[in-house]
Amino acid sequence: MNGQFDFLVIGDDEPSLAAAAAAAKAHARVALLTSADRKKRAAAASPAIANFVWRRLDLQDYDLTLEPVSARVTLLKEGAPVATYANARETAEGLAEKGSPDHLLWRDFVEDMTLLAGAPAYAPAGYEKPGAPDIKAFAALLADPARLEQAARLFGSCGDILDDYFSDERLRSHLAAHALGAGGRGDREAGSAQALAEFLDADSWRVRAPKGGVALRAVLEQVCQDMGVETTHKKPVDVVANGKFSQVSFDGDDKIKVKHLFFATPAAARQWGVSDGRSAQGSGMLSEGAHADFTVRFKLNDTIEAPLNDPGAIFQVIDDGGDIQAARNAALQGRLCDEMPVEFEFTSNGEVIARSAYLPAAFFEDGEWRAWTGQDRQAAASIIKDRLSSRMPGFASLIRRTETELSAPPSGASPFVNCSRIIIQPHRHNAISAAVKLIDQVMAGDD
Amino acid sequence: MTNPLDQNSENKGGNRIEGGIDAVVIGAGADGLAASAYLGKAGLRTVLVGAGPELGGRIAAREIAPGVTGIDGEHLITVLDPDVISELDLYRYGVEFAARRLDTTYFFENGGVLRFDGDLTQAALLNLDDDSDREALEAFMGDVLETAAFLRPAFHGGGYKGPGGDKQRALEKAVGQAPPEMAARIQRYLYATAEDILRARFEDSQLRTLLLAETSFRSAAAPHEPFSFMSLLRRYAGEAAGLQGAAAYAKGGAVSVIDALRRAAQGAKVDMRAAAPVKSILIEGDRVAGVVMDDGGQLRAPIVLAAIDARKVFQDMIGPGVIDIGLQRILTARRPEIASARMQIILKGVAQDEATRKNMMRRLVYAPSPEALSKAFMDARAGRVPERVIVEAVFPTALDEGAALDKRQVMSVMAHPLPFDEAPDADRREAIRSAILDSIEMFAAGFSGRVEVEDLRLTSDDAAAAGAHVAAYAAKPDVLQQWALAAAVTGGPRISGFYFCGPEAQIGAGLSCAAGRAAAKAALRAYKKGAA
Repeated sequence: MNGQFDFLVIGDDEPSLAAAAAAAKAHARVALLTSADRKKRAAAASPAIANFVWRRLDLQDYDLTLEPVSARVTLLKEGAPVATYANARETAEGLAEKGSPDHLLWRDFVEDMTLLAGAPAYAPAGYEKPGAPDIKAFAALLADPARLEQAARLFGSCGDILDDYFSDERLRSHLAAHALGAGGRGDREAGSAQALAEFLDADSWRVRAPKGGVALRAVLEQVCQDMGVETTHKKPVDVVANGKFSQVSFDGDDKIKVKHLFFATPAAARQWGVSDGRSAQGSGMLSEGAHADFTVRFKLNDTIEAPLNDPGAIFQVIDDGGDIQAARNAALQGRLCDEMPVEFEFTSNGEVIARSAYLPAAFFEDGEWRAWTGQDRQAAASIIKDRLSSRMPGFASLIRRTETELSAPPSGASPFVNCSRIIIQPHRHNAISAAVKLIDQVMAGDD
Repeated sequence: MTNPLDQNSENKGGNRIEGGIDAVVIGAGADGLAASAYLGKAGLRTVLVGAGPELGGRIAAREIAPGVTGIDGEHLITVLDPDVISELDLYRYGVEFAARRLDTTYFFENGGVLRFDGDLTQAALLNLDDDSDREALEAFMGDVLETAAFLRPAFHGGGYKGPGGDKQRALEKAVGQAPPEMAARIQRYLYATAEDILRARFEDSQLRTLLLAETSFRSAAAPHEPFSFMSLLRRYAGEAAGLQGAAAYAKGGAVSVIDALRRAAQGAKVDMRAAAPVKSILIEGDRVAGVVMDDGGQLRAPIVLAAIDARKVFQDMIGPGVIDIGLQRILTARRPEIASARMQIILKGVAQDEATRKNMMRRLVYAPSPEALSKAFMDARAGRVPERVIVEAVFPTALDEGAALDKRQVMSVMAHPLPFDEAPDADRREAIRSAILDSIEMFAAGFSGRVEVEDLRLTSDDAAAAGAHVAAYAAKPDVLQQWALAAAVTGGPRISGFYFCGPEAQIGAGLSCAAGRAAAKAALRAYKKGAA
């Protein structure tokens, strides 16, 4: 691959593919860097696709059908599972049935959070037009007590908001676990409220292809191809700024010039040693930094019954609400936490995919930071296996094969280390639509 | 201590109504004194009422051992509003600096030591091994000091609206005109974590460590959290003895500023009354009408300024029926988790060597490693006393000739972060005491052997002395939360004639008086408009 591009999109998850396709469809020249060794596997649920993305990419022409996950379920250490549904009434009724005193508040809560998520706060976007952040919006924020209060709530802690609404501790733990689990945030840390507000948005409800259906990733890959996105698997070795462009050199002497380096998710950036906090562009300033995502795929000898007999749900395992901040603290301190929150789901072919974002980006031992080792991966996989076994008796004995996947900064210098013009989409529950919006914003800035 | 204003302190209560007053100021701390001086100076007949037996707030002199006076509350002057000094003529009323432009010596966990010039722009004087670090530090300090100075109006807090000038509009105009480069910096400094910003700027881990300690000191925002970096800008927006970001020691300690404010108020003919607790604030329709004293007496006045903690004012004195739900929520939503502590230590003997003698003329800071600091915040939040804390120490007996003792030294310490307790028990006190002493021992090995007396002062002690709710003296949350709180308490309830300048109106820690000044100015604008 050679030549000049508007974007190099780096990553091969659904948000990256969607952003690349959307930009190419808007006549941008787009290069896409994906990993060479991606295996074909049953997909995990992905973020929902907002209607405007569907239209932008004409997904209806690609035979795509998606169904929403059936429920968000939390398996606490004690007591029955807590579940919430896409439908607010269903959730409220479910809570009432379980005797939760908070069922009457549910709809108000969802409404308030939607308003809060859309509040005109001076929110850090992933991208600012070069040289012109919207300082007027900041000044207006300072001048208005009502907006300041909203901003203080939105950028406050998830725990503060939940305490404000609900008395049912189990419900609070459930919501915090699902709202924060994917981004690895703590419920008592500043900025975590934003994830809570956003996760109740309808576009944040995850979806998956039905059994036998075409995978969303495959469709997006096809769209990219149809739109003329140039894809490479070659490893970038050096990136240098060169006027308005960055020059990217790949293994094997390929060189391209690009205007923008675009990461659609913080996980994609992390794998290349780029953390959102380090980007001089200042994108993604509510940094989630300092953690790794770890995924374990369990292939089983036999099927196991899903909790609540609902294999279509997304499950979170926590012992109680205190686990979340404790695990976040452990990750920040560079160690594994035995009680880390784990999310899991069942794929259409009966595998179990378990994930946690509460792992350290690096380990702190004897006063030194060190990178992940094979042993750490084993230890992390073992903790996750134990967490699942504790909620599904007999699970461990059914495991035939285990595959792990780590998204942590690699040891050694990042090829992007000298590059200041990097755009990184911070963690979003609605990552696909957010990535498309972000790349649109960048294109608008170029005009 | 004798109070020169005792003639004003007699009980004037009873069940009588006093009229002919233009303004009542509740609370005789620094902001209350400053506000009353402004009002008195403008010709308003002003009555200042303080609940305690003496005037002055949490910054006060107290005998910590026979014949040895310590100063509670603050030991250094870092953010005292220069406008207050000049407009109230505080130099004439007795403010004098025993030591200005204090150099800081930083001590690190690994035994390293680094000295910073008292003038932060003088990074070139630092003894750094690597020239690139020096350049990075100079560039960084340039950016930070410039941005901090630019944002200074925003750190003065307060959402006072009213006729004759709207502070917020002015602020909006000032900030809204930031050049693009400054705007980009402000946005980044606002939302990013202190760790991210400092990691991006410094290879040198000592520079990073000391700046992280300065940023987190006295703030409840942990350095790995968003919005934490703004705390440093708030601190560096202040000035001491005319120098931005500096620290100075006042002759006679910080309490001498309180004394000067009191003299300024006296000079402005303010009627100051100690031991005069207020029971409630009188509101008639949508106007304030005065205050009701504990003894049943009333002081009727068209202007009331409250310079005490917000919960006491809004929940007890005004009442939840009058304040709106937003303010109610913001006052109670969040339980404080982090606090600082003071310790004053009397040490036996005199310094034997020159290096120690020199250090005693400086500000000393123990800066735990970034990992230890993060852990300290996590521990303190979880209610545990951290193993290592940031310690800021000065030696009043060395800095201030008037405080010198024979063959003994007083070391004044502020330690942070510690868990916030409403009512700490003896075990908690002991744990905090030994954590502070351990952290001092990290840079002054063998110091424990010289300790003669140690006097630990926690948030709850300060609050009890000032008659305030303990939460008001907890460490301040991140700057965004502080802005929201300050805007809510100063602009919240629309009761005309009522102004708030308690601790919640102040952005950042330290003796400032900016809130008192802002409230008094807003009251005067409204008064003049009404009179004209």
